[in-house]
Amino acid sequence: MAKSQSSALVEPVYSSAIALLIIVVACAELCDAVAVVDVYRLVQYDLAGVPFGSRLAALNHHAASSLFSSSAAAGAAADLSRTVLILPVRDLNLTFIRELLFSVDLCACMFWMIKLIEYLNNPEKLEVLGVKYIEEKKPLGGLLLLLPQVFNPQNIGGKDEAGHAPAVGIKEVLLDLERLLIHANIPYPVYFGFEDDHVNAVLADVKKNDATGQLATATTGGYKLVVAAPEPKKIVSPTVSNIQGWLPGLRADGDSNQLPTIAVVASYDTFGAAPGLSVGSDSNGSGVVALLEIARLFSILYSNPKTRGRYNLLFALTSGGPYNYNGTHKWLHGLDQRLRETIDYSICLNSIGSIRNELYLHVSKPPENAYIKQIFEGFSSVSEELGIKVGLKHKKINISNPRVAWEHEQFSRLRVTAATLSELSVAPDFLESVGGLSDSRNSVDEDSITRSAKLVAESLARHIYGQEGKNIDVFADDSSLSVNPSYIRSWLQFLSITPRVAPFLSKNDPLIMALKKELEDHTADVRVQHEVLDGMFTFYDSTSGRLHIYQVASVTFDLLLLLVLGSYLITLFSFLVITTRGLDDLISLFRRPTSRKVKAV
Amino acid sequence: MTIFHFFNCAILTFGPHAVYYSATPLSEYDTIGTSIKSAVVYLVTALVKLVCLATFLKVSESDSFDPYQELLKALIGFIDVAGLYFALTQLTHRNISQNHKFQAVGLGWAFADSILHRLAPLWVGARGLEFTWDYILQGLEANANLVLSISLAALGSLIWLRKNKPKTLIPIIYACAGIVATMPSITSYLKLALGWHFPKVVGFELFTSLVMAFISWQLFAACQRPSNRE
Repeated sequence: MAKSQSSALVEPVYSSAIALLIIVVACAELCDAVAVVDVYRLVQYDLAGVPFGSRLAALNHHAASSLFSSSAAAGAAADLSRTVLILPVRDLNLTFIRELLFSVDLCACMFWMIKLIEYLNNPEKLEVLGVKYIEEKKPLGGLLLLLPQVFNPQNIGGKDEAGHAPAVGIKEVLLDLERLLIHANIPYPVYFGFEDDHVNAVLADVKKNDATGQLATATTGGYKLVVAAPEPKKIVSPTVSNIQGWLPGLRADGDSNQLPTIAVVASYDTFGAAPGLSVGSDSNGSGVVALLEIARLFSILYSNPKTRGRYNLLFALTSGGPYNYNGTHKWLHGLDQRLRETIDYSICLNSIGSIRNELYLHVSKPPENAYIKQIFEGFSSVSEELGIKVGLKHKKINISNPRVAWEHEQFSRLRVTAATLSELSVAPDFLESVGGLSDSRNSVDEDSITRSAKLVAESLARHIYGQEGKNIDVFADDSSLSVNPSYIRSWLQFLSITPRVAPFLSKNDPLIMALKKELEDHTADVRVQHEVLDGMFTFYDSTSGRLHIYQVASVTFDLLLLLVLGSYLITLFSFLVITTRGLDDLISLFRRPTSRKVKAV
Repeated sequence: MTIFHFFNCAILTFGPHAVYYSATPLSEYDTIGTSIKSAVVYLVTALVKLVCLATFLKVSESDSFDPYQELLKALIGFIDVAGLYFALTQLTHRNISQNHKFQAVGLGWAFADSILHRLAPLWVGARGLEFTWDYILQGLEANANLVLSISLAALGSLIWLRKNKPKTLIPIIYACAGIVATMPSITSYLKLALGWHFPKVVGFELFTSLVMAFISWQLFAACQRPSNRE
């Protein structure tokens, strides 16, 4: 259709121009309206002054699909500083990404890693960490990574088109990719988007164009990706908000001693490569949900003085988990010292949601310690009944090392007995397993959370009511005290669609208000403590945006169009002059100056 | 690129009018006053049509072809013809021959039509980053419209201004005038009922406008011959 029109209009004189016009016309075909996609930016943060992540937000460049559009035209591939690469994560080659982000020299990679570990071990060597930026081998205009729809928090149900949970392979790729991106310093914008029909169509088109060896620039036309985002600004005084709820125990008349306290703690915030997508369903949404359910069950028991235990219960939802449990540290220091001294022991919940029948109790006191033995036996006996295996893991704390891998370590540093219940067998590294891209709704299993919640609640109840070792089921299924799966499901659903990166949560964020209200429903005295995050971390805003994809025609096309129109108007003019005034008039139009000269003479 | 594209489409839409004026003897006889007057008459006619459409027409959500609505639209379209009649006969023109009068009126009519219907979309849309063929097609439509307007003006002047016409040609004249006057209804029928795409519709318009122009030219020449003989 387009071709017939162009051939009807174009003056046959310009034969080569026709050929070029037809080629250009064939390329710039009729298209749909502009596509608009929600995209999420890679995190941008400074760790003790060292910048990490993507340092720019605004994007306005042409799209390409690979670095090496055609090896013959490799010269043209050199200038990619004005191109945005669109890479689907499905087809990602990690060595390619590594090359993209870091210099090819693997030793330089190792050097950088060693420096980081050095810093973590010796905080006074901060000034030595004037690490030179790794020169990126290929400066780009931008990077757009396409994730499968399965990982989209808005995609409720968490299944892809075929109805399957995502393959393990792609989760591993995502984990590696995330690790790479978080620890790189990237001077161009990096965005995450989800595959959908529009974007896939655009990508297929871009691939087709790239295959012809023609890089999309202003002179050749193609697709342009635009994200209008303001320059990212530092977030001033990011707050961490700790929410605590208090269930007082039964104090017998005449008893002036303080009742002992048991604390149940879970950190609710996350960190990931894309703060707009860090929903952390397993790490630590599962912990939060279990904590709320335990609070609900105990509030039922404690509402009646006849069933109220002789222990106070303290429930805490802490923030700042990924940053060496900074929030927990501040919360503990904010607690009244006498209250802290009454804490018998504390159970921290961290990632208890995936489909595994094995949980670990991590402690920092040696396992021979009588108290630890007692707690562990309490857990084991309940876990046997539930069909879960619980193992005991011991990790000594190194006081001089600022790295805090488990939440219970913050308690242990203040001489409070504590343990962490987790499905992870080894301590996660810094900024790992804290709710990244692959940690979405489909990586959690409700039944596991139900079982884990029951495990903790039952163990605590048996300890509180002194029923250890006895064959009694406090929270029996099908009783009024059974663990409620729909409660767990609805809270898990809510948490799986809410990104929870602490610096981006304001003091009155709806999430914090919701958690506070829920604890108020179950416990007596709820307090929210707002603290400023450790100064070592600086975050920058602008975590999400809207990507506009335009199909642009080249300047060449418009020049050709101008040529065609010019010739058309000239033809029209000549035609009209000839038909209305005669051919002589047309010729006289051009001869007028010379005829005047003749007359003058 | 985008302002450039706007410039190109503007040339395509409004250029032919300027070219027509300067190429034909219209510019020699300085008939710009007539054109401007007919443009004003067009604007008034458009306003009247708008009011009638708003009063009588139902807004239908679906994009289908409703015969009753289209009939109503066609009837209101005849207000166009009435406006053209007014412009041809009632306005006081300077001493211009009939030959040039209908051309000037047709030109002014078409120019006002293009400005009213095509300038705003062009300004708003062609300057964006996204490229579509729509504005080029719209420009072609404007060209077709110019030819159709001049043909209609020619036929109109034949009907109302020329008193002695050969008897045999009269029904043909009226038939052609009817076809040209109902062109909008025909195009909307093609678009909605038959589902033709925009490029196809524009092609059809161009073709019919050229055919109609040829026919009305022949009719005009035929009617001129008897008066020349006298």
